[in-house]
Amino acid sequence: MPTPAPLTRDFRGTVHGLSRDIMTGWLTRLKEATSNGALSAYIMISGNCVEILRCFDILPVFPEINALQLAIRKNSLPYIIKSEEIGYASDNCAYVKADVGYTLCGGVGAGGNMPKPTMIVCNFVGCNVYIKWFEHCSNMFKVPMVMLDIPFSREQSPSKEDIRYVITQLQELITACENLTGKKFDIDRLRSILRESARAERGWTRCKHLCKNRPAPFDAYFDSINMMGPINALRGTREAADFFDAAVAEYERMVADGIGVLDEERFRIVIEGPPPYPAYRSFRNLFETWRAVAVQSTYSTVGGTWEFGFQHDPDRPLESIAEQMILHNLCNRTMLQRYQQIRSYIEDWSADALVIHSIKSCRLFSAGQGDMREHFTKDLGVPTLMVESDLEDPRYYAEAQMKNRIDAFFEALQYKRIRKEKSDAQKAGS
Amino acid sequence: MVYAAGIDVGSTQTKAVLVDTARAIVGRALIDTGANLKRAGQRVLDELVAVTKIDAASVKFVVGTGYGRFRIEAGDAQVTEISCHARGAHMLFPGTRTVIDMGGQDTKAIKVSAEGDVLDFCMNDKCAAGTGRFLAGAADVLGLSLDAIGEISLKATKPVRMTSVCTVFVESDILSHLAQNKRVEDILAGVHEAISARTIGLVRRVGMEQEITFTGGVARNIGMVRGLEAKLGAPLNTSAESQFTGALGAALFALDHVLADQCAKAHVSPEPAVWVDE
Repeated sequence: MPTPAPLTRDFRGTVHGLSRDIMTGWLTRLKEATSNGALSAYIMISGNCVEILRCFDILPVFPEINALQLAIRKNSLPYIIKSEEIGYASDNCAYVKADVGYTLCGGVGAGGNMPKPTMIVCNFVGCNVYIKWFEHCSNMFKVPMVMLDIPFSREQSPSKEDIRYVITQLQELITACENLTGKKFDIDRLRSILRESARAERGWTRCKHLCKNRPAPFDAYFDSINMMGPINALRGTREAADFFDAAVAEYERMVADGIGVLDEERFRIVIEGPPPYPAYRSFRNLFETWRAVAVQSTYSTVGGTWEFGFQHDPDRPLESIAEQMILHNLCNRTMLQRYQQIRSYIEDWSADALVIHSIKSCRLFSAGQGDMREHFTKDLGVPTLMVESDLEDPRYYAEAQMKNRIDAFFEALQYKRIRKEKSDAQKAGS
Repeated sequence: MVYAAGIDVGSTQTKAVLVDTARAIVGRALIDTGANLKRAGQRVLDELVAVTKIDAASVKFVVGTGYGRFRIEAGDAQVTEISCHARGAHMLFPGTRTVIDMGGQDTKAIKVSAEGDVLDFCMNDKCAAGTGRFLAGAADVLGLSLDAIGEISLKATKPVRMTSVCTVFVESDILSHLAQNKRVEDILAGVHEAISARTIGLVRRVGMEQEITFTGGVARNIGMVRGLEAKLGAPLNTSAESQFTGALGAALFALDHVLADQCAKAHVSPEPAVWVDE
């Protein structure tokens, strides 16, 4: 029997469209900055302090987003190779290599239409490699770098000393921004920006919690990418907060009408790890084939773990920014805290299984995932699949092998479910 | 009489097994896969019909497995080889709880339930290090046939230590041992030991439980069987059907359909959805 004709699906829903519009607006402002002299700064996604830049009208540029856009457009490999030519190792972070390679070729941003940064803000959160990345950027662009040293979180709440340490550095960043822009820091403006941040965070949290419904109104891994742009890059703007209000309205309507992201929701899964951007659609199709929907994902919390209650607080502006950077994001937390997060996703979002996508070129995210698999499989009895490729480097992705593992995993889940139904029916009949 | 068939299109060889409604193996066929997977699927089915001398029309359902499973035109359904090896091993040895399947490009450890269902599995990543390909590379460098190296390795007295199980570095590794005047049997013992050590890691990840059944083409290699047994500290079930285990499992899944077993529908992949770019 030939393989059935595939269903074709247009992934652009209302929320996707809105996300695309506001992200395009941001990219347009960046493009305009190449000629109008607006200031911009490199900053990283994880637990960022974008509100401070926004307070000075400095446009944030995220090299990770530039890198992933190269990958999703299937254009990352030449730049990865370019970086390897100058000595980056094959197992260096491929985000770094793609971005550095692209910069060396004269481009900024995936479309080559972003301004050269005026300043580099290395908001180091958990990843040492990023320090080197941003140092190289500072060197390549010949612009100053501000380094924020964020203590790694080993506790459930940060110590007062840690908070004070980060606040002092934020004040140094503020001084650097004042010197760069010639503007005086306006605390009331920062409070106003943080109010919009908190509104967006409430909306994003509500969206995430709506995925507890059956069927889930969106895929909290694949569709979350469209919401991670607004929550991370545009956080603190009214348009981002409005976007999340609109997303909540759309998803609440879908939940009320019993509409899910797929025509049928057969499996509810949690996905750990970044997606393989070079094979993004193909990877998604492998799950959709089995009508598997990600009801939660850890990757979507790289910027912040807001769904567990944290929000920026306009009444404690620098304190809450510091708390976000230290504790309320995925990357700066211990593996055990990540276990707790995933366990909550499995239990509270009623998931059937966990899928771990391990990343070859990111040891920060991948180290410990073997143990994680053991913990969830053996200690908690959660069916867990671990697959491996990369988030940026297409050379690590093998479609046939990936399909084989995913198909086998869902075959086993489906078989188990049918046997249970059979046994339940027999019990009911006897 | 009606039959069900399983076809396993592997990276190097394509296997087929025919079973009757009493689950007995009626016949088997084996060919080299080559570059044309579609043709391999048809050729092996033709061969199976020829050797069993049955009427082709009496084959009521065909399940394809292996990497080429979607290319088999005669395939009525497709099931991954992970499920098929579990099912086949369970039929050959009903006490099976762990399956080690070693083929041309994959090594898998599969944890199996008392019913023969897959409970968990682990396998090598995209890299084929530690698979049958590594053994083939070693045989090539030493100018020996793949079938002979297992037996030779058992004559070792001082097995060498290989620096990796990389199929690319196997050549330089072996040449370096030859340059040091190491004996061929000692080198081959080192080769088998290196793969065993890597395989044990996979087995431990799913949790080793006896009985352990060794399947796939490499299960015919006595050196590998002994090497794994030594590392596991437990005996392995092996069978003359080892190489056909995947095809046998596929045939049993096909038989579910012939017998209209409810579980049959578990293994029919739903039609895929394809997301389109903007």
